[in-house]
Amino acid sequence: MVVKIIQVILSPVLALAIGVFFLGLARKIMARIHWRYGPPLIQPVIDMIRLFYQKSVSHGRMFDLGIVLSLAGSIVVVLFLPFGGIAPLSSSGGLLVILYVMLLAPLGMALSGGQAANPNISIGISRKLILSLGYELPLLLVLLAVMTRYKTISIVEVVSAQQSAGWAFISFPLFLSGISYFLILPAILGIRPFDVSSAPQEISSGPMVEYGGKYLALAHIEHAFVLFISIALFVNLFLGGAANPVIFFAKMLVVFVLGLCINAVFPRFRIEQAIKYLWKWPTLLAFLGLIMTLIVRS
Amino acid sequence: MSLETLLIIGFGGALLTYLVGKTSEKVRDFFGVAVSLFLVACVAYLYGKPIEKTFYFGFFGLGLVLRLNMLSWFFAIGISGLGALCTIFSLSYMKGRERTDFYYLMMLLVNAAMLGIVLAGDLISFYIFWEIMSWSTFLLISYNRGPALAAGMKYIIMSIIGSLAMLIGMLSLYTTYGTLNISEISAVIASASSGYILFILIIFSIAFGIKNAVMPLHTWLPDSYAEAPSPFTAVLSGMLTRMGVYGFLLIMYVIVGAASALNLGSGVFKFNYILAWLGAITIVIPTFIAMLQNDAKQLLAWHGIGQGGYMILGIAFGTSLGIAGGIFHTLNHAIYIVLLFMSVSAVQYRTKGERDLNSLGGLIKKMPIAFVGGLLGISGLIGVPLTNGFVSKWLIYKTLIVEGYPFLAFAALIGTWGTILSVYKFLHNMFLGQLPEKYKDIEKSPLSMQLPMIVLSLAILVFGILPGIPLKVINTIGTSFGFESLNITLWGITSDTGTLNTINIFSAVLVAAVLFWLLFRLGAKSVSVAQDDSYAAGAHTPADKYHYTAEFYNPLYRMIKPFLRDVIDEFYYWIASLVRSLAGRVRRIYTGDVGYYVTYIVLFLALLIFIQMRWKIW
Repeated sequence: MVVKIIQVILSPVLALAIGVFFLGLARKIMARIHWRYGPPLIQPVIDMIRLFYQKSVSHGRMFDLGIVLSLAGSIVVVLFLPFGGIAPLSSSGGLLVILYVMLLAPLGMALSGGQAANPNISIGISRKLILSLGYELPLLLVLLAVMTRYKTISIVEVVSAQQSAGWAFISFPLFLSGISYFLILPAILGIRPFDVSSAPQEISSGPMVEYGGKYLALAHIEHAFVLFISIALFVNLFLGGAANPVIFFAKMLVVFVLGLCINAVFPRFRIEQAIKYLWKWPTLLAFLGLIMTLIVRS
Repeated sequence: MSLETLLIIGFGGALLTYLVGKTSEKVRDFFGVAVSLFLVACVAYLYGKPIEKTFYFGFFGLGLVLRLNMLSWFFAIGISGLGALCTIFSLSYMKGRERTDFYYLMMLLVNAAMLGIVLAGDLISFYIFWEIMSWSTFLLISYNRGPALAAGMKYIIMSIIGSLAMLIGMLSLYTTYGTLNISEISAVIASASSGYILFILIIFSIAFGIKNAVMPLHTWLPDSYAEAPSPFTAVLSGMLTRMGVYGFLLIMYVIVGAASALNLGSGVFKFNYILAWLGAITIVIPTFIAMLQNDAKQLLAWHGIGQGGYMILGIAFGTSLGIAGGIFHTLNHAIYIVLLFMSVSAVQYRTKGERDLNSLGGLIKKMPIAFVGGLLGISGLIGVPLTNGFVSKWLIYKTLIVEGYPFLAFAALIGTWGTILSVYKFLHNMFLGQLPEKYKDIEKSPLSMQLPMIVLSLAILVFGILPGIPLKVINTIGTSFGFESLNITLWGITSDTGTLNTINIFSAVLVAAVLFWLLFRLGAKSVSVAQDDSYAAGAHTPADKYHYTAEFYNPLYRMIKPFLRDVIDEFYYWIASLVRSLAGRVRRIYTGDVGYYVTYIVLFLALLIFIQMRWKIW
């Protein structure tokens, strides 16, 4: 019981730390690719603390509550995701619940932003939702392939099955699904070339345009959680999770840096181009992966 | 309390309400609500008391039977409960309109007829109540005249086709077994050939498929939902359409029985497998069509079709989890769709009938209860965890995945993601975003509208956090069909292949939300600003509408619109126009002039004489 309580407290804190670290790292790596020096690694932390003490505007009750809802949703996902042996709530409904609780975060942001009558926000939200429909199509096929392969909807079972039988990423039918997930990862994270919904030069950060002060700080925290969740999900499903948090973190780091380096050099897609891309190669691979899985299973 | 009394109260109450309305409107309102509430109390009282009773012997030698079991009780409580809430909701909505007595008569009549359907113990009474329901629904759909007449006509034509199919099935059953009593038929039908059982299933599936709007029999639904008076649309979408689900359960698992119904055909060509795929198609296509709608009620109507697909998918799949999911989803869907239609009607009521999503907006501060209703409604519709829709969908997904049908599961899951897009647009364009100048002084909804919305909002949360309450009843229904019992706790389901525990999710969300709320309060205080005080990169904010809500998903529209024509509806219209032109030609012969008819008769006689002279066949 005590161990469980410690885990419940520990895992969101770790997730936040890793997510924030990734935010800093991303800026640094991007800067180096652009031949700049870049800000220090802890710049995101400095920004957040500073923002908390700055003035901000509110557009109403939903504007405040939406962002809280979104963060709460992210925390719950973190509690459901096994993190190198730490998995406090993972037995409460498995992957299906994770998939659905992951909805709370964008929904909360959309509700919060929605209350401010700013055209940039509604354009950003519209793009974000279209993009999420775009990547959900392959993502669902990928997750279904994994669940069908291991005949379970529990993510802990998926991890333990891989620990005895080897990583899913290098096993026969699932490597297709794994590649597909890796291809859509930048879209899930909303980083280039899929940063259509924030698009700072175009629609002034989209859904976040009205955020200032503590709202912006919380939005950054939310972003950190999203980074953690999407990469941790990949590590759990395809790289066999890990027996302890350190190895888990190492795996996450490799995935993140690889993804960042590949995508840092692309210019931004338009939303139609993004959808066309997502519904072409990743979907095709994921579809093949699922069919192969069905054939292998029967 | 006997079942006859219950129905007499239902039907008699409806007629009395009409008569009372002739004297005083106030008394009528009170009386109508009292009748509907009393029905709820009666049904609740009958919980867990199985009854089967023949109340009339004289129908051509066949007994008319009423019976109550867990299945009918489950539907009866849903019908009476939602019926009562919708009647209360109607009070202010219908105030000051014409023909209100007639409206209440029909509303209560539909309610009583639906109770009759689920309580019927033989197919004749089932059919009689079914027809009363269909016809009174037709009258209510066309209540507003104008385009509503066309919608009602479409409904009643499809409904009659369904009824005729059902009649053929009943006649066939009667000639084969000499009885139409449901329990008597179910005792003997197991020995019938599989071909005959298939015939019975298909012919009844046409009737119930039309009622439940399963693709390709769905075309009556969007227009009818949109054109009916809004409180009645709530009844129509909540329970009336779902009489189809009850019908499917009745024919597949009560009359034919699970053992025969799930083993017809072989491989992928099994009856229930094909039905499950129809359900899956019914989920995907309407959900994406819903995205294109700009009319709030049309949008919800298309979701009504789509969500019906989940029920059919779960029921047709035929595992204990699937059946439980399908039945539970019927209840959940009824709760949240009624709430959503109420939310729309509350807005309509205050904005003088506006339901175009492109011209509303920003009503959250003006109508907070309607907004909360809308928010919880769409959360249930999406299936956000901690709302009721999540649990039933979880049950269906889980059984599909674990049994190894990922493509069916994929259809069901992608339907959810399509739903998010359209319902966010629904909520955003009505309640969020820019408040138009003309709605600046709008008032919040009256109490008789708020009350049902609050009750339903609470129901969504309670069934989402403690799904064990309804699932216990549903589990009894499942076991009565011969499925194995599920391992149900108050907050979920336990099993080897994955457990659901909603109370864990609930506590986690609650604690996290409270913590972040505190963190939020700790930060520097924020200043409340007016809606037009927003960042526009230095540009001037125009006085009139500047917000981007019309064509909300334009990039996506452009990509998917060519694929989303309702081809089936067009096909039906093509048939209708064919029949009409045929009838037009026939009419040219029947001119109404006696001279022509005399000519026809003479010509016909001449033809007969000619034939006789030439071939001598008589």
